[in-house]
Amino acid sequence: MFENPQLSNFFWLSMSIAYAFCFSSLYTYLTIPEYTFELNNNAQINITMKLATVRLVIVAVALLVYPMILFRFFKYAKYFTVALTAWAVAIYIDDIFVLTEVIKYPESGLITSIQSLRPILIVSLLLMSIELVFRPLTAD
Amino acid sequence: MKNKNTNNLVFSTILGNGSDKNSNGKDYNVQSSTFRLIFSFINLYALILILLFFMVKGNLVEGIDNNFLHTGFLSVLNARGILLLLLMISLNISAYFNYGFNYVCLILLAYMINSAIDNAVLFSGFMHITDRPYLSVFTLTRPLFVIALFWVMIIHKDKDVSD
Repeated sequence: MFENPQLSNFFWLSMSIAYAFCFSSLYTYLTIPEYTFELNNNAQINITMKLATVRLVIVAVALLVYPMILFRFFKYAKYFTVALTAWAVAIYIDDIFVLTEVIKYPESGLITSIQSLRPILIVSLLLMSIELVFRPLTAD
Repeated sequence: MKNKNTNNLVFSTILGNGSDKNSNGKDYNVQSSTFRLIFSFINLYALILILLFFMVKGNLVEGIDNNFLHTGFLSVLNARGILLLLLMISLNISAYFNYGFNYVCLILLAYMINSAIDNAVLFSGFMHITDRPYLSVFTLTRPLFVIALFWVMIIHKDKDVSD
């Protein structure tokens, strides 16, 4: 029923880092104290949190679906990983270059640290994509 | 004379097979006409969209109120226009060299869906279809573009070793 994807330890390490980051993000955004919003009650923060909620739903779905695709439908794992990597890069570029004047994250130590650690997630996903795309065909 | 006819027959057979889309001797695949049609549509759609972005930025399109643009949408349009242009260039290069087309297509797909989600979440309060008909046409037909991208990715014949 389940395939055994013969992947390197490096892949599993990258996947663990990506999962740890995503769970940390989920924890951070789900446990933001309410007084943060009351202190900074402006439209920009509200709209940013709305966008963050939509993104976190997508992250949660991806976290649930990814192991299933990796172990059950391994043929499509590389496409799914590349799509996730592209999305991670796209939202990072969006936040840094495109939506700078539109969105504003709440001033919280945890959120700031999560935002600054986003390149780690992107690098992990990139390494996973590279391994899946360029792995030898004999291992399939 | 007979010999010449035989040679012509041989050459025409070879050339006929050589131009066949299933030819293995060549280092490129001839894509189907459906692929070419959809790919042309994608290029045309993206080109018009990029032109519209830059026309709005240059204040060349009437019917778009300045209040809306000053909410930050102008800088978003500018960056989106440049990014889409870069991605379309990458897509055309990968299609020309027939290498990694599916992955570039996937990246463009992720980018377009993400920008659609962003626009829906951030600017849904400001966007009224009748106020900005030019932009609304592209907002409403975005699913068509996404479907076209997905379709072109499926029917593309790749010679990529990793596939």
